[in-house]
Amino acid sequence: MAVSLRESVQLVSDPRNLDASVEEVFKLMLGVNCWRVPGPIVQEQESVTAVVGFGGLLSGACVFKSGSSTAIRIAAHMTGMEFSEVDDTVKDGIGELCNMLAGAWKGKVPELAANCGLSVPAVITGRDYHLHVQAPEFKLDHAYRFDDASFAVTIICDGLQ
Amino acid sequence: MREIRALIVDDSSVMRKIVERSLRQAGIDQMVVYEAGNGAEGLDVLKSKNVDLILSDINMPSMDGLEFLRQIRAQNLAPGVPVVMITTESSEEHVKQAILAGARGYIRKPFTAEQVKERVLPLVNAA
Repeated sequence: MAVSLRESVQLVSDPRNLDASVEEVFKLMLGVNCWRVPGPIVQEQESVTAVVGFGGLLSGACVFKSGSSTAIRIAAHMTGMEFSEVDDTVKDGIGELCNMLAGAWKGKVPELAANCGLSVPAVITGRDYHLHVQAPEFKLDHAYRFDDASFAVTIICDGLQ
Repeated sequence: MREIRALIVDDSSVMRKIVERSLRQAGIDQMVVYEAGNGAEGLDVLKSKNVDLILSDINMPSMDGLEFLRQIRAQNLAPGVPVVMITTESSEEHVKQAILAGARGYIRKPFTAEQVKERVLPLVNAA
């Protein structure tokens, strides 16, 4: 019998799955507690965005976005190294973080874990850019905080089979 | 503990460092680490170096971890050397595919150093 997620769209789009995934990844890989906060993240001049695409039963993307200083702090927690700028190692770390967030999130729904693939992460840096998605099936857009740093994680689903 | 020669295969250099750090935290402090960014590079390392342990991601460009495993067996490289997959893919189907392809262990990202210790040390000690 063909597997379908159509019947379980409420389970797939449950916002608690995203919160649990973010908390788990930050606790295990960075050793920090983070929590969801209302409203937009603190804006910095330069920002870092990582995107991991979903393909298969669900098509869409997991998007991580933070300011440069937060990205540097996250990479420092992940590696134990110090960084003064968003270099290739910081970008690599943020891409891998987004990969783990996407994997942890899809792992919360067994049908999704087994039938949804992940793309290699893409990382975008710069200022004054906006990510536009046309009429998604559903979208979860959450802001989080650890220490005094903030970041956003967005799940965009533009197709469910 | 004797010196361990470990091959870590992951397209993320940061993740390779995290895996290496976790191995050291697990008690493998005498270690020579070889790194590869995908399965094809991993095969090249195995053609020129002897290793005691292989840790590999699954989702990688050029050659993924499952194909890397199949090629290790097909080319009879590193016979008897334990391979542990460390990956974001966590479904039963992925674990089954990895075990069928020859993996001896499976660790899901995100992971703790304790999980690495529990799943890798017995394989290293038994080798």
